Amino acid sequence: MNEVRPITRTVNLIIILSLTLGLGLTIVYFSYNQNVTLKTTTRGNLHQQADLLYQSIKNAMLPGNAPNAVSLFSDIKDINPSYEIMLFRAHGVQAFSDNATIETVNKNLDRQKFKLRSSPLENVIDISGDTRFKNSVAQRKTVAFEASESGRHFFTIYKPLLNLPKCTKCHGSDHTVRGVIKISSDITPVLDKQRINLAISGLIFIVVVFILTVILTRFFHRKIINPVKHIGEVCISVTNGNFSNRVSIPNRDEIGVLGETVNRMVEGLYERFQLSKFVSSSTIQSIRNKDRGARAEIAILFSDIRSFTAFSENLPPEEVVERLNGILSFQTDIIHRNGGDVDKYVGDEVVALFSGEEKEYRACKSALEIQQEVEADAGKRFGGLHLGIGINAGEVILGMIGSEERADFTVIGDHVNFASRLCDAAKPGQVIISENIYNMVKDRFKLSSPYKIKVKGKENYQKVFILEERVE
Amino acid sequence: MKHRIFLTVIAISLIFISSCKKKEVKQLVPDDYKGWAMTATELTYPIPGHESHYRQIFINKIGENVKIEKKNGRVYYDYPRGTIIVKEIYPTLEPKKGDKPISLSVMIKDPDNPLSRDKWLWIVKNLKTGKEKVIDYEFCFDCHANANEPYPYGDGNKNGDFRDYVYFPYRK
Ligand code: HEC
Repeated sequence: MNEVRPITRTVNLIIILSLTLGLGLTIVYFSYNQNVTLKTTTRGNLHQQADLLYQSIKNAMLPGNAPNAVSLFSDIKDINPSYEIMLFRAHGVQAFSDNATIETVNKNLDRQKFKLRSSPLENVIDISGDTRFKNSVAQRKTVAFEASESGRHFFTIYKPLLNLPKCTKCHGSDHTVRGVIKISSDITPVLDKQRINLAISGLIFIVVVFILTVILTRFFHRKIINPVKHIGEVCISVTNGNFSNRVSIPNRDEIGVLGETVNRMVEGLYERFQLSKFVSSSTIQSIRNKDRGARAEIAILFSDIRSFTAFSENLPPEEVVERLNGILSFQTDIIHRNGGDVDKYVGDEVVALFSGEEKEYRACKSALEIQQEVEADAGKRFGGLHLGIGINAGEVILGMIGSEERADFTVIGDHVNFASRLCDAAKPGQVIISENIYNMVKDRFKLSSPYKIKVKGKENYQKVFILEERVE
Repeated sequence: MKHRIFLTVIAISLIFISSCKKKEVKQLVPDDYKGWAMTATELTYPIPGHESHYRQIFINKIGENVKIEKKNGRVYYDYPRGTIIVKEIYPTLEPKKGDKPISLSVMIKDPDNPLSRDKWLWIVKNLKTGKEKVIDYEFCFDCHANANEPYPYGDGNKNGDFRDYVYFPYRK
């Protein structure tokens, strides 16, 4: 047989797997979405702000007073320090850093419209090496990107500023991109927030999976696994012959019902088992084999309680049944012990069959043991009742006799009838045996012999013997 | 049975793959624009955006029906849907006879196109490769917004008409 794989393990595995997968996917989905939303809104805001700035810069430039833009940038930075806004010339050098543009403009206008700056800016920033900047200029396109710098994370936008027709009067028409606006925002707090979101989601996930696993596992154990195990235990004890255990499941569900069914089944089995004590094993055997009939050499023992009817008249029915059952089962035990089968009980009568080796001897031994015990009882167990026993042996017909619905295993034949007559003839406490029996057991028992009796169904007097005691 | 499932799976995936195959891209700019009306011919000065190249501008028949209305004291131009304006870009500012344009800058009125900006599709056609590129970011329309205010070209749009983003409007 294959090794039993405990269902507990499978159930636990399924619970943990489905919880982990289900909750995990949901949480991953939501936290991912949340982070994406956070990211896109941050980015969208920045783009929007870049657009606004672009428009205001265009307008700030309009009067031809470009340095207005510079103060605009520093104003914005004052309002929101996490922003950095800078203007670069198309070749990557920070704008307003020297007089180059002013000189060109003055030349284009053919007059000294703008005063030269006295001292050029120090620490001029040059981003001409930045490929993203170069892309933005070459493709005349806004470029947005994220980058880390000394532990902080920045989202940066390069937005080209076009040399619009209205700019050409001052700046000339030989270039398309006038410069690039760089807008940079420190998004480290946003990323930190994302990380915290993830950590919290993870924590919630672990805690929820743990709690649900405990609850579900306990539920399954309480409602299914333990009851099933319990039913299994009861079944095992029944298999081992112990009918006293019963399933007790308080649940009013399918498993509870199953438990009740098992209980009913066990009760049924118990009754049948009890019954089987009184039904010969050959009966069971032949029912199993569906025997239809056979001839066999057997010894037949009839035992009958003398004047039981008179005895029972003065007793309440329960006591009658109890007494009768006591005597019948006491005899059955002895018969079984000697390898005999109880064929049937007919009222207060026991019909027992012995087959095989020494069947006559074993039948006689059983009869003597029964009589000795009943006689020695002195009314204690058996209420002063006495038995008469008759034994005969010979060829009989065995078989299931009856209809398809109801059939009994029975022995029939002359020898059976004769055994019954011998029983009738026996006085209380007596065991009467036939000549057939006598021939087989005469050396092993003390017998008083022979008597001649006339029985119903036989013309001649029959030779019979009374069994006295065993010779060891 | 298994065989049939296998075949079905293959058939379905084939249908999928074939439906995913790139559709033939429709050419947006017609080749026969040379016969159209011209809005500007002698553009021999450099301008930002189109730089130092000789330029000629053509407009298709639909564009000739431009609606010009006065609303609240301002003149509004409205080019009908399907208007195509093609600007030829020549290799130099002073092309020799026989020189062919190197690229086309094109505007097509197609407000429903998701790539359109300010109701126009902005296209650059490379005549060497024949590739058409739709520019859906600011670049083109950002500058062409200046056509709706006074500018230093052509008639200069002194009154600040709404020229529908076109610097050289079509005139009968
Ligand atoms: C920096 C300004 C600027 C940019 C950018 C620009 N243009 Fe122009 N565009 C002009 C000017 C000025 C004219 C007027 C004709 C001329 O001088 O060439 C013009 C004319 C045109 C015309 C002819 C219709 C008209 O307005 O008279 C077309 C078509 C055109 N541009 C397409 C484009 C496309 C497509 C792009 C983007 C790839 C673009 N332009 C980008 C300034 C610009």
